[in-house]
Amino acid sequence: MAIPFPFSAIVGQDEMKLAIQLVAIDPKVGGILALGDRGTGKSTAVRALADLLPPLQVVVGCRYGCEPASSSATCTDCASLKATGKRPKTETRPVPVVDLPLGASEDRVVGALDLEKALSQGVKAFSPGLLAQANRGFLYIDEVNLLEDHLVDLLIDVAASGENVVEREGLSVRHPARFVLVGSGNPEEGELRPQLLDRFGLSVEVRTPQDIDQRIAVIKRRDAFERDPQGFRDEWAMQNDGLREHILKARKLLDKVKVGDDLLRLCAQLCQALGTDGLRAELTLMRACRSLAAMQGHKAATPAHLRTVAPMALRHRLRRNPLDDTGSGTRVDRALAEVLGT
Amino acid sequence: MNLAWDDALWALAALHIDPVGLRGIWLRAPHGPVRDEWLTLLQHLRPGVRRLPQNIDSERLLGGLDLSATLNTGRPVTQAGLLAQSDQSLLLVPMAERMASEAAAILAQVLDSGRVTPHGGGDTQDARLGLIALDEALADEPAMAETLQERLGIWLDLRHLGRQEEASDEALGLIGVLCSPDGEAEEERQNVLQRLRTLRLNDQQIQAITQMAQAMGIASLRGPLACVRLACVLAALRESDEVQDQDLGRAARLCLTPRATQMPTPPEQETPPEQAPEQPPEPQPEPPETPQDEPTPPDLEQQPDSPDSPEEDTPLQHMGELLLDAALASLPPDVLAQLAQNSTTQIKGGGQSRSGDLRQSRSRGSPLPPRPGLPRQGARLHVLATLGHAAPRQKLRAPLGSSQGAASRLAIRAEDFHIHRFAERTQTCLIFAIDASGSAALHRLAEAKGAVELLLAQSYARRDQVCVVGFRGTQAEVLLPPTKSLVRAKRSLAGLPGGGGTPLPHAMKLALEVALQQRRLGVTPSLVMLCDGRANISLQGSGGRAQAFQESLSLANAWRSQGLQSIWIDTSVRPEPQAEQLAQAMGARYVPLPQANSQRMAQVVQAASR
Repeated sequence: MAIPFPFSAIVGQDEMKLAIQLVAIDPKVGGILALGDRGTGKSTAVRALADLLPPLQVVVGCRYGCEPASSSATCTDCASLKATGKRPKTETRPVPVVDLPLGASEDRVVGALDLEKALSQGVKAFSPGLLAQANRGFLYIDEVNLLEDHLVDLLIDVAASGENVVEREGLSVRHPARFVLVGSGNPEEGELRPQLLDRFGLSVEVRTPQDIDQRIAVIKRRDAFERDPQGFRDEWAMQNDGLREHILKARKLLDKVKVGDDLLRLCAQLCQALGTDGLRAELTLMRACRSLAAMQGHKAATPAHLRTVAPMALRHRLRRNPLDDTGSGTRVDRALAEVLGT
Repeated sequence: MNLAWDDALWALAALHIDPVGLRGIWLRAPHGPVRDEWLTLLQHLRPGVRRLPQNIDSERLLGGLDLSATLNTGRPVTQAGLLAQSDQSLLLVPMAERMASEAAAILAQVLDSGRVTPHGGGDTQDARLGLIALDEALADEPAMAETLQERLGIWLDLRHLGRQEEASDEALGLIGVLCSPDGEAEEERQNVLQRLRTLRLNDQQIQAITQMAQAMGIASLRGPLACVRLACVLAALRESDEVQDQDLGRAARLCLTPRATQMPTPPEQETPPEQAPEQPPEPQPEPPETPQDEPTPPDLEQQPDSPDSPEEDTPLQHMGELLLDAALASLPPDVLAQLAQNSTTQIKGGGQSRSGDLRQSRSRGSPLPPRPGLPRQGARLHVLATLGHAAPRQKLRAPLGSSQGAASRLAIRAEDFHIHRFAERTQTCLIFAIDASGSAALHRLAEAKGAVELLLAQSYARRDQVCVVGFRGTQAEVLLPPTKSLVRAKRSLAGLPGGGGTPLPHAMKLALEVALQQRRLGVTPSLVMLCDGRANISLQGSGGRAQAFQESLSLANAWRSQGLQSIWIDTSVRPEPQAEQLAQAMGARYVPLPQANSQRMAQVVQAASR
């Protein structure tokens, strides 16, 4: 297993780290879109994500990693396991963080006819793809803005329905594929389709730290990590454990956090002022507020929470005139000042 | 002695010692004696270094099911991929600039994670390796994919190097020892690795490298990181117990200078770091270095030869300057001039898979009849056609099959395989050539800009690429290389001033070059020319209507002979026959717009480009 860079050792990038923690506390907040130049540590932060998440309970023998308690009817593997009459065994697995490489073929992503079985045994079987692997976890796409259109279409559909339907080569398979999309890319190199943008809950802008001391700290830690990955991880294990416990605590608190009608009204006003389409923006705002409140140990979400999460949740949802280069961040700030008062 | 060649040898030795830590090298050099010499030495250092062929399929690259072997034996046979086989070693990638984006993405991912997932899933395998990417791209061609460039530690440019150059005895001796026969070479390598384990940069040195990277406008931190690593490897190679200035200088030349995006100003004069590194920097009395001077002050030549200069006590600023001087020594003057202009018109590349105009895709598009072929490189097996081909041959094959077991299953041979084919609509690139000369500027430039903006918004909706060529005065220039970023397109347009002559021939030549280059990338180019046709500046940049018109005409013919699409929008108030004549020669659709109206202009182009 490749050793990821420990999350707690990441220098700077406060917004990115906050977004990751919010999503780790409540995956329903939606995915994260990290935009920024190359070499700013976007993928390091995303791959470190697994550090924050407690391991999952899964059914042994289910290729889609279903949850034992609610092995849903849509999963054929669980259904056939149940049909044997035995109680399915369970095991714990780390949360999957699956990489979707840019050039991945459609087969690789959705799954395809299992050639090995088809040719050697003459059996028609389905060999699951990356979407199956990512079920209940995270799907990470580096350079998401360069992803080919046909894959984008596919992801948009699956991310919305939480189910992967394969109807090809004589196969007719459907399996659960509920994952959180995490994308990163450099906006200078190409634009994203609004439909795909909308599938991401939060978006963050990542820049290289300009402060020389921070840059030095990054280089020192990275160098130490490359020399001795395991040793470096051990050094940071305490902090990582602390962070994970914090997130677990926040998860427990999450259901108790109240989001009052006043705050919802503010959310709606904010979205109205910015003219975002649909209700997804409001929902994301509400969930992100709740997640942030839980993270800080509060029992109720407040306008201060809203102020913190609003830029992340709204920035990428503004209807954009392609020729208007006013930063969407400024527009969100303006609307925030208007709705919340300064 | 030439610093570049000497550096090249050091880089080679460093890669041999630590392929994994450095991630590899982006070697830009044409095929020739210099590169051959370097590669021969590489062969001596690492006999049997693997090559990555252009046409490798993902099964071989990543590993996976060996189809033919599986069919012959009747049970699944897996094979390790080239990446997994190159674990802890170097992998040679020839013609890296032609690599398909798929392969580049895979390699980048493997370099990041050090793991490879076999094709079709399965357990991941170790693949910690360094790449030697040989890039032969010419100046006007797209270079290797940026995702990959970024990740390779060392950037070496040998394009300006002539025939055999000399190198320092130290470097030659080192390579000699590392190549020596028997176990000696390996023993030496282990010794160096042993030393490498304990070598560290001190805080001052790390700070100097970081500052320099920032001064050169290197935003990514991968550059300085590679520099830190390389400095340690170089010191270990020299059998030194500590990293010294010459190691830093050499590492900076190999890792930082080639990545520079701006002219570095000398490092900020700071109070010594022990006191307060956060203090606001005092204004600098020194002027930035002028780019015209080849900055090789004489003391530099001696610098590599004076390794024993005491640097422990030198203040940071001094070290920074030394480092900067050493790094600048390797820059050819034209690069400096370019950096000083802060020009950003760099040809981006690697984003496309390269093929013809109407490309046949194996993965998407409208389906074509299946054809025989192996399901590789993203091609999908057409099961029905495969079975259809195998069915009539079953009787013939039965006696050859092992015995009873074979009778119950279908005997399929590799020659039965058919694959899916699709016809795919290729990407298009709209090239706008905009006349900003005096004659046009007076009346029409603003309108033309408005129309182009509208067109840009439309091409944004279609996800086309756009490219803007502006011409006025004595020459044309590519204001915006092909891009999908609309904001940049708009900016380049807004910054287009008007006035001067009409260098139409030059504009057409430039547009033709861009178009052909795009076509090589698999993009279908089309040209939108906004001009009144009154050419009066020839290719040489001198005045003369008749000559300029003749040149335009012959370029127009060249355009047509390439079979490229174009539209000519005549922007003059009273259309004259010249523009129409040129448009005819080009095979372009001619649209006179006496009352140019941006809305209408946009409609015309939209209708024509469908």
